[in-house]
Amino acid sequence: MTVADDAPAAVPDAAVVPGMQDSYEEFYLNAPCGLLTMAPNGTVTHINDTLLGMTGRERRDVVGASFTRLLTVGSQMFFETRFQPILRLQGEIREVAIALSCADGSSLPVLLNAVVVADGNGQPRVIRTAIFDSTVRQDYEREMLAARRSAEASEVRVRALQDASIAFGGATGEEELAEALVSSARSTFSASNSAVVLLGDDGELSVVAGVNPLGDALSLQELVPMASVLELSPVTSIGVDGVDASTAAIRAALAAARQHTVTVTPLVDRDVPIGVLLCFFGRERDLGDQFSSLQQALARQAAQTLTRMRLRAQLEQLALYDRLTGLATRKLLEERLAVALESGTPMALVFLDLDGFKGVNDHLGHTTGDAVLRVVADRLRSVVRAEDVVGRFGGDEFVVICAETTSVNAMVVAQRIAAEIRLPMDGIDPAFPITASVGVAVYTPASSDVSAAELFRLADGAMYASKRAGGNRVSVFGA
Amino acid sequence: MGSLPAERTDVLRRNNVTVSGNPAGRPMVFAHGFGCSQEVWRMVAPQFAEDYRVILFDHVGAGGSDVSAYDTGKYDSIDGYASDVLEILAELDLQDVVYVGHSVSSMIGVVAASRDSSRFGALVLVGPSPRYINEGEYVGGFDRADITALLDNLDLNYLGWSSQMAPAIMGNPDRPELGDELTTSFCRIDPMIASQFARVTFLSDNRADLAAVVTPTLVLQCTDDLIAPTPVGEYVHEHIAGSTLVRLEATGHVPNLSSPDEVAREIRSFLA
Repeated sequence: MTVADDAPAAVPDAAVVPGMQDSYEEFYLNAPCGLLTMAPNGTVTHINDTLLGMTGRERRDVVGASFTRLLTVGSQMFFETRFQPILRLQGEIREVAIALSCADGSSLPVLLNAVVVADGNGQPRVIRTAIFDSTVRQDYEREMLAARRSAEASEVRVRALQDASIAFGGATGEEELAEALVSSARSTFSASNSAVVLLGDDGELSVVAGVNPLGDALSLQELVPMASVLELSPVTSIGVDGVDASTAAIRAALAAARQHTVTVTPLVDRDVPIGVLLCFFGRERDLGDQFSSLQQALARQAAQTLTRMRLRAQLEQLALYDRLTGLATRKLLEERLAVALESGTPMALVFLDLDGFKGVNDHLGHTTGDAVLRVVADRLRSVVRAEDVVGRFGGDEFVVICAETTSVNAMVVAQRIAAEIRLPMDGIDPAFPITASVGVAVYTPASSDVSAAELFRLADGAMYASKRAGGNRVSVFGA
Repeated sequence: MGSLPAERTDVLRRNNVTVSGNPAGRPMVFAHGFGCSQEVWRMVAPQFAEDYRVILFDHVGAGGSDVSAYDTGKYDSIDGYASDVLEILAELDLQDVVYVGHSVSSMIGVVAASRDSSRFGALVLVGPSPRYINEGEYVGGFDRADITALLDNLDLNYLGWSSQMAPAIMGNPDRPELGDELTTSFCRIDPMIASQFARVTFLSDNRADLAAVVTPTLVLQCTDDLIAPTPVGEYVHEHIAGSTLVRLEATGHVPNLSSPDEVAREIRSFLA
């Protein structure tokens, strides 16, 4: 057996203890680690016996061949993409974890140090490596890696749900909630795009938040398989590689938008579908059970929050709008009046009470009475400006807040109201005519400093003046 | 090669774009592959400085890029990286660009040019592979299990205790020409980003994009390239109409470092 010429020759060493000599050659060949030298292009030039023993290979099969042939495929890829560039640029690398491919087909985990030896011109001459068996260490490392990955996966899940719960809880409206769901879906699933699609009261789907990259190519109805949403199916996934004829249009749109897959996760409120979460992926992904179960969990959390939000909004609506006439309630009137006063611009409050309403109720019944109230509400709405607020104060009393108006204009509105109310009503016996006693209170910021309650009292007083004068007329306070 | 940072707009800062060479020359953009940074071009790019305007950049997560710009959704596909390339070309208002991409960046260039070819004059693909995994008739060179083993290997090196490979920041007494400033950004990659970039690189399938390329294309195929074996280079050549395939004498997957002169020579001869 010859050691090739680059390896050190046996050199007598005077300094060693007599009887303890170890030649350089002996030491090289049987060093307690694998030693290997290769040319800059990766061709093996020298290998020691230790490394041959570790791999079970013959010197003649290794020397002259590429170093990469001693590596497993995974390590070859790593060697080429990361190891080589760094070694070239840096001249040295240490403690790289790779695996050798042994003669018997097994693989041997090793740690490798390598150094580039340059010639006089700074050009690489040879690459020297030292290789250590790290089976025990890497088994442990692999276990750690597996544990780390699984810990990370569950951490992702917990964090996603926690973050989402905070973000959803902080949302003040449906749109904000949808935005929070989109952003949480994008980061949790590394989705290229995500969108929240909600079913409106009109049964139409619309994108409330996020981006639907297929928007130009497909209508939402074509994209979202409503049937599957209605059947409350779990996550549906459609990829460009699919073959199902029913998804051909979606697959074509995905390809055109450079997306690989879209997942559709229903948003469900106690068995009622309210929309879907769309997630788009730019490449083929492993969308396993854990993945879709996390999508469902996020969707469920968002849907529950959305439902709570809608219930709260309904309750607020009930408190703010009169159920019979749809007009503002006293609560909303008070809020709006406070806002109008705060704006510091001139405004007017029109207060009216129906004349003859008690007679209708007593003689024609409460159903007819309710019909009269609804007609009055419609007429009031038709004579005021869009920015004015019409409300039902209680019983047969109504209020109109005319923001940013002058006393003259308020008077005109009040007269128009009185004229409109006194018109005959379809289906109501003309023997029971309905008219209105109207009172107006005008507020001018420069001249007065009144509270909302005071303004109501003044308008109410003016209304009573009309009532006392026989009704069916307008009185003004503070003109 | 002195690098003259262009005006540091968001895009240019994000991708650590450096502009050097002949300001009046035709623009040549170099894009690095997986596992390294723009440093991988340090022996090729200077060879074009005299007559080309040389543009180098780092993908987000690598080298001196702005890691805070990393978005796991955007960069989960080649397409996200291609968007950055298009933005860089637009930001510098480059025309008739010679785009030189190594490894995964060759496919990033293919996707960018097939989305909008208007600023591209030529594509040079160094060791391209549109799909690493064998599939039916297609020979990518790897089985899915190989790729899984590679990803394990990467994670072991990036995330395990032997994470020396990840930051790879150390002095180099043998190469004093590498100043400290360069050494610190030497192929630096964020481990978590590298882990995702590896998945994007080795699990993507961009075969369908090849047919859409209308830009004159040079495919540089190395000898004994394990990552992008010869049949893959031939596949790329066959599927990009009118492309030129040149087989390099250089071995391995990183000819820009192992045989920079040969790479530069072939690029020149293609552009001549």
